[in-house]
Amino acid sequence: MANQQHDVTLEWPDADRETRTIAVGEDETVLEAAERADIALPFGCRTGACGTCAGRLLGRAESAPTASATEPSGGDIENAFSARRRPRALKERHREDGYVLLCIATPRTDCRVAVGSSIHAELVDNPWK
Amino acid sequence: MSDTSTGGDVEPDHDHEDHHEGPGYATPQAAIEEGEREKLAYVMSLYVGTDVDASDFVAVVDLDPDSETYCEIVDRIEMPNRGDELHHFGWNACSSSCHMDGLERRHLIVPGQRSSRIHVIDAADRRNPELETVIEPEEVFEYDLSAPHTVHCIPDGEILISMLGDADGELPGGFLELNDDFEIEGRWEPPGEIEMNYDYWYQPRQNVMVSSEWAAPKTYYPGFDLDDVEEGNYGQKLHFWDWEAGTVEQTIDLGEEGLIPLEVRFLHTPESTHGFVGAALSSNIFHFWRDENADDGDEKYRAEKAIDFESRDHEDWDMPVPGLTTDILISMDDRYLFGSNWLHGEVWMYDISDPANPRRADSLSVGGTFGEVQEVQGRDLSAGPQMLQLSLDGERLYWTTSLFSSWDEQFYPEEGEQGSVMLKADIDPRKGTMELDEDFLVDWGECPAGPARAHEIRWPDGDCTSDVWQ
Repeated sequence: MANQQHDVTLEWPDADRETRTIAVGEDETVLEAAERADIALPFGCRTGACGTCAGRLLGRAESAPTASATEPSGGDIENAFSARRRPRALKERHREDGYVLLCIATPRTDCRVAVGSSIHAELVDNPWK
Repeated sequence: MSDTSTGGDVEPDHDHEDHHEGPGYATPQAAIEEGEREKLAYVMSLYVGTDVDASDFVAVVDLDPDSETYCEIVDRIEMPNRGDELHHFGWNACSSSCHMDGLERRHLIVPGQRSSRIHVIDAADRRNPELETVIEPEEVFEYDLSAPHTVHCIPDGEILISMLGDADGELPGGFLELNDDFEIEGRWEPPGEIEMNYDYWYQPRQNVMVSSEWAAPKTYYPGFDLDDVEEGNYGQKLHFWDWEAGTVEQTIDLGEEGLIPLEVRFLHTPESTHGFVGAALSSNIFHFWRDENADDGDEKYRAEKAIDFESRDHEDWDMPVPGLTTDILISMDDRYLFGSNWLHGEVWMYDISDPANPRRADSLSVGGTFGEVQEVQGRDLSAGPQMLQLSLDGERLYWTTSLFSSWDEQFYPEEGEQGSVMLKADIDPRKGTMELDEDFLVDWGECPAGPARAHEIRWPDGDCTSDVWQ
């Protein structure tokens, strides 16, 4: 089933940009599919180390109808995406909150993901303020 | 490795008369005398991490007050890929090769800090440099290294780059060597010498190199997390290397007062074994030097805190705000140490004529959290002073305001929305004073593709943070 494709819907929560849905094969990353569709997502290392490409899972198509209304959990991430490499830029709390590194993530199901530069900025706060 | 380096035996009898055939200047004083006023600057400029669909670029900035395009970005050398995070860069040759016939200061080595891609730019035409060669990340990863940072030339034409991580963005880092055809020669040091890496400087006549520590790329790339400090994931050590052998001879743990030692500089005079490092998180400056009284077999280098910047209370912050001393540089005459407290919004100069006892000469409060000046020519400032560059004659200090894309987002989210600025102060090195030049402003907010950040600055013909003497 390596060539199976899933619809991944990209939403920019902090930017006035139209939501886009792209077909992503199970053998490619969301970032690669977005580039193929000429959609510019932020990225840096492309090895899962830097977090620049972070997205946040908003919901899975196969979820129970109520599930999409709840906060995604780490388990949801694992059901939604496989990772080509270890997502080293993410801490456990990030995974539990539904963050995913789009440079190494390949979809396992149709899903919706928040993307754009505001997402990686959510990974850390100003610790003193 | 260099075959002209002199090892531990001091050899001050080079022919340092007026003539030399290679690049740069015969001595630091010759750089002051012969170097012309900087008329152009190269500045690392970046879009990485933003929604702007454009690659990072090297900005060529007009610094000639008599030019019609003074304070404007007059050329942009765009990188072929997005996502690099251009950060620090360096020349293929500097004054350390001033006796090498045929070598010229011509190529800029421009690494992508996030991408691990290394670009080589031909700056034969100083105003219109061109991208010449690209070393792709996969070639770098083959040496189990990533996250290139500081670039210095080795005196025989090769290039050494500090690398902060392994191919996965974990520890250990190391050093990557390029040959004079800009091909990867290999790892410079034997495996296992260090874990963390960041900046380095070498003093060949003393056969010493010093390197500092940030963290593993996977730790600092996403942003600053205090938990990582508590877990010991940030650095606090200095490593003193045998420059010829490429091995660590001594490691000094600076302790809690020395957390995140970043920019590290020896004095310019090749005779000196004194230098300084800025511990960014602890916001202290450490002085280090070789103890000439140390017995054979004892540790030779020592480091002591020489300047302590106190945290300040701010009504909108829960905890005292550290200065975050993110950059330092030493004037070419070795008289002054300049530095930036990026979070406070301060740029300062200390008299280091007695290096163990720096004496505050002057400072400016501009931008950042506490800066008294919060706009220049009507342009709002956000982040404080960050990367510094000083004219060779020590009379003009310039700075940019971006630290690192993800850290900017954390502490100054407006920096990405507005773009960075480059500012300037006029320095009187006789009186030890600095004055903000409010007629000077370069605004990265006006770039055609959208607001960009600006980081390290270099002059076309050598500067206080690139040139080393044998």
